[in-house]
Amino acid sequence: MSEKTIERPTTDEAALAKEIEADEKAAARQASLLKDGWADLRKRPMFIVSGLVILLLLALAVVPGLFTARSPFSDGFCQLQNSMTPPTSGHLFGYDVQGCDIYTRTVYGARNSIIVGVVTTIATTLIGGLVGMLAGLIGGWIDAVLSRVTEVFSALPLLVGGLLIMSIWGGGDVWSVSLIMAVLGWPQVFRIMRGEVISNKYNDYVAAARALGAGPGRIAFRHILPNTLAPVIVITTMNLGVYIAAEAALSYLGIGIQYPNISWGLMISDAQDRFLTSPHALLFPAGALSITVLAFIMLGDVVRDAFDPKMR
Amino acid sequence: MRGAKSAKWVAIAAVVALGATACGGGGDSGSSAKGDGTVAVEIGEPQNSLVPTNTYETEGGQVINALFTGLTKLDASNKVVNAMAQSIDSTDNKVWTIKLKPGYTFHNGEKVTAQSFIDAWNYGANQTNAQQTNPLFSHIQGYSDLNPGEGKKPTTDKLSGLKAVGEDTLQVTLTGAFSAFPSQLSFTAFVPLPKAFFKDPKGFGEAPIGNGPFEMKGKFKHNESISTTKYDKYPDASKIEVKGVNFKIYSNLDTAYKDLVAGNLDSLLTIPTSGLPTYKKDLPNRTIDEPDSAVGYIGFPVKYNKAFQNADLRKAVSMSIDRKTISEKIFLGARTPADDYISPIIDGYRKGACGEACTLNPAKAKELYKKSGGLPGNTLEIGYNADGGHKDWVEAVANQIQQNLGVKVTAKPFEQFQTILNDLDAKKYSGAFRMAWSMDYPDAEDYLRPVFSKDAIANGSNYSGYVNEDFEKLLVQGDQAPTHEEAVKLYQQADDVLLKDLPYIPVYFYTMNAGFSDKIKSMKVAGHQILWDTVKLS
Repeated sequence: MSEKTIERPTTDEAALAKEIEADEKAAARQASLLKDGWADLRKRPMFIVSGLVILLLLALAVVPGLFTARSPFSDGFCQLQNSMTPPTSGHLFGYDVQGCDIYTRTVYGARNSIIVGVVTTIATTLIGGLVGMLAGLIGGWIDAVLSRVTEVFSALPLLVGGLLIMSIWGGGDVWSVSLIMAVLGWPQVFRIMRGEVISNKYNDYVAAARALGAGPGRIAFRHILPNTLAPVIVITTMNLGVYIAAEAALSYLGIGIQYPNISWGLMISDAQDRFLTSPHALLFPAGALSITVLAFIMLGDVVRDAFDPKMR
Repeated sequence: MRGAKSAKWVAIAAVVALGATACGGGGDSGSSAKGDGTVAVEIGEPQNSLVPTNTYETEGGQVINALFTGLTKLDASNKVVNAMAQSIDSTDNKVWTIKLKPGYTFHNGEKVTAQSFIDAWNYGANQTNAQQTNPLFSHIQGYSDLNPGEGKKPTTDKLSGLKAVGEDTLQVTLTGAFSAFPSQLSFTAFVPLPKAFFKDPKGFGEAPIGNGPFEMKGKFKHNESISTTKYDKYPDASKIEVKGVNFKIYSNLDTAYKDLVAGNLDSLLTIPTSGLPTYKKDLPNRTIDEPDSAVGYIGFPVKYNKAFQNADLRKAVSMSIDRKTISEKIFLGARTPADDYISPIIDGYRKGACGEACTLNPAKAKELYKKSGGLPGNTLEIGYNADGGHKDWVEAVANQIQQNLGVKVTAKPFEQFQTILNDLDAKKYSGAFRMAWSMDYPDAEDYLRPVFSKDAIANGSNYSGYVNEDFEKLLVQGDQAPTHEEAVKLYQQADDVLLKDLPYIPVYFYTMNAGFSDKIKSMKVAGHQILWDTVKLS
């Protein structure tokens, strides 16, 4: 009897220790959903391809001088005599209507596209994320008001809203274009964030944290935020490509980035009149745009596959 | 007439819905079936309904020209000849006696009399009716009584200078001598109107009753088409082969061009840029390439912006523009370098009149620029309307000025032409701007007074605010000259004053690049109007 009574605690202890260890491991795994996703991502070829393309684009955006010796802003860069000359050696992409080297302009155009994409994405994520979290956490009439406000914004389609705002305020550089797209784009992030926060805030771990005396700020940022981040990251990555395409569309319609700034959308619009006789002026910027948008959308796709628990 | 084709800001929305634009008039091609003697002709949507005195643009003007016949008209060489007028005489260029040809009736049977003209002009000149062509009547005595200014009511509704002597003679007294008056009468604003018009001007605009070779078939279908058939009681009906004209309304010239090549359209007066490289091949022996009446400029608001008041500075800018390369590369030959303020189709044009000031010379330009003291901040802004296909050439001009003068030049787009004009009027915009002028009537005077005279600042198109007393004097002397030749000489002297001052820089002359289908054997065009008696069917 006595032996047994002595033995039992030992086996229990061992089992308990094992259990605790397993729990800790699981906890560690759960806490680093991001790390987990990253491990998963690295194995996917689509991620590697799109990642490389994006790295190249980032390099183009940061140091365009590495890829071309000419500067599109120097005097004498455009010589009208060369107007619409097809690709030749030394000028691989040919010349546009104004007699500017298309290769150089395409390289420098990457910067504006990337800036618009990144700035708009960051702005929409910050605004949408913060406001969404507030609405989700506080609830009540504040949530109701904020939700109605976002409905007003999201009722405006991006292009129509862009046309409207641009024609009233004008603009023409990357910052005004980013601002407008951010203003019209944040409701999407807001909705996702708000939904995630609401579905998380009644979970036991939140109640536990509250019971332990955590303040609302700590609960929001230390407990709820990490658990809602994955879907936001996914939508954000996918939107990068969408925003770059939207910038090109706005510029194409003459209400986005404007001369003398360079934009692929603008280059496409300038070249369309002569597409049948000189297709090169349209195809190169259009190709660059397609590759960029494709790379970001592919990245968004793999990121979603890696982070979305339902897809596993 | 300014802004030949203002596609409006709506054009941008049209790009969004590319598919929808094709529906403008492309759908129904039935009316142009081969062999029935009718032709389908491209126009843009007229700015207003079809009232002659309210039509001051080329699209509605083409329809008015088919429906109405005025006192004079243009012939194929852009000379003014009598149309409904038997004779137009004056001893002092101030009092004009006009005898009408007999036999003209309106499409409802009413006889066209001298009174039909008087009634129409009284209507057009009266400010209460707010007609677009109102300023054109300002030469006629009594105009100021009908236009006392905004907010005031005219004391009369009749121009005191108009008098009917019997049914077939019209006597017109002008405020002063004006030798170009018969030429001005060729403009579509001066056609007669039937009594039916005054009963219901609004309804008339949708189905006008004219005295011309064609009468309306049904109503004006907005954004779709305007159908007409030949008016058999027209005195010259036997000279006209075409049995009916269907004006098809397009919002996109590219669509119209495709329809022309496919045989769904019979005439297109403006081949779009996208068609220029191939149109001679697409339409073998079916193209017309002639100088057109319009002139394109870069203008300076000399009155509002002190920076532009130095003539050397304006000359320096002018001499840094390579007009020849712009005409060839940007316009693919659809423009020619401008070397005068007066168009080459006008009696009075002198080749090379502008001389060195309109010739590229970067070294001299730089020297002049230095001498003038330069521009504040070494920057220059050139405004243009984004709806009219001006972006490419304005940017090219901007590049060239930047390269040749070392000035930072930006091309600033405005939504519409009207926006620039309003901003200039309100002094909200003080940069340089693009401008163009196409004639109302073929006379040298029409290229000078309406654009550069003192009166045209308030009541016309002098957007530079340019005033020069010598110029004004020479214009008046030209008006009073007893013969056309002497008038032209004096107008040329006025032109010389402008060429020295360069309030606007002439950049290019338009050329007309038109095409027609194989249904038409030949046709002639003058002043952006098809001359219907010259159209021969195959």
